[in-house]
Amino acid sequence: MAYNVLIVDDSATMRALVRKILAMSGFDLGGCFESANGREALKILEKHWIDLILSDVHMPEMDGAAFLQALRAHKLWRTIPVVLITTESRQEVLTPILRQGAQGYIKKPFQPEVIRNQLVSILGEAAATNVRELEGCDF
Amino acid sequence: MLENLKAAIFEVLETMFFLFPESLEEVGEESTGEALRAWVPVTGSRSYHAGLTVPMPLAQKMAANFLGCREEEVTSQEMEDIVREAANMVTGNFLSREQVPGAFRPEAPRSERIAGGAPRSPGHRLLFMVDDHLMEVFLERIA
Repeated sequence: MAYNVLIVDDSATMRALVRKILAMSGFDLGGCFESANGREALKILEKHWIDLILSDVHMPEMDGAAFLQALRAHKLWRTIPVVLITTESRQEVLTPILRQGAQGYIKKPFQPEVIRNQLVSILGEAAATNVRELEGCDF
Repeated sequence: MLENLKAAIFEVLETMFFLFPESLEEVGEESTGEALRAWVPVTGSRSYHAGLTVPMPLAQKMAANFLGCREEEVTSQEMEDIVREAANMVTGNFLSREQVPGAFRPEAPRSERIAGGAPRSPGHRLLFMVDDHLMEVFLERIA
């Protein structure tokens, strides 16, 4: 099964890095979609089937918390797994977002294999069909 | 405070950019070339700009390492974006280590190009040698 992933981050280079890590992670990726904030992400969700979302927290226009709130209020999107990728580490900021239903949290800076490990924990080891060695990889 | 900032720089550069900075006490002559300066405004009980000044050749190297491409493939927009992202990660990492009391709010990172070398930051300042280039990391108090 090919998974469609949506990367939500206001940094184009961070989106490019995450996309590259996903491509090397061995997951059967279908479409890999990108958006710069939650509002743009919602528009992509209206048009495409998305299996997993990787989202930043601090973004202009619609931040990660508001995006997650909109997702969980939607009857079709409420079950899509969301993993936060952020520099934010304050529990008083993260805990309410995680309580809204984010499945995981990756703190920047991160090793590439951390993203893979999160995906395995959510999608299952079987989803990683073509695993390459990520530790210390030179992209 | 500065020890936490130093630790944040080491962790971010090593983990995300595969670069290994060497901490410097002081340098005789500083770079006069073009550089990128990026910072994150942090407002709260203490308000300041946390950021870094990176010479263009080092910014190019950082972008290439981050994106996994050759240095000559990196665009100037990508360099600026990468240095902003580095400032963002360093500030986040620093705040996490510092455990600043009270509410504070990091804003979106900003950047500017500096011609003719970096101005000496008036606040706290750390210097690092990174891949034969001088990098400045600063904390500047704001009103």
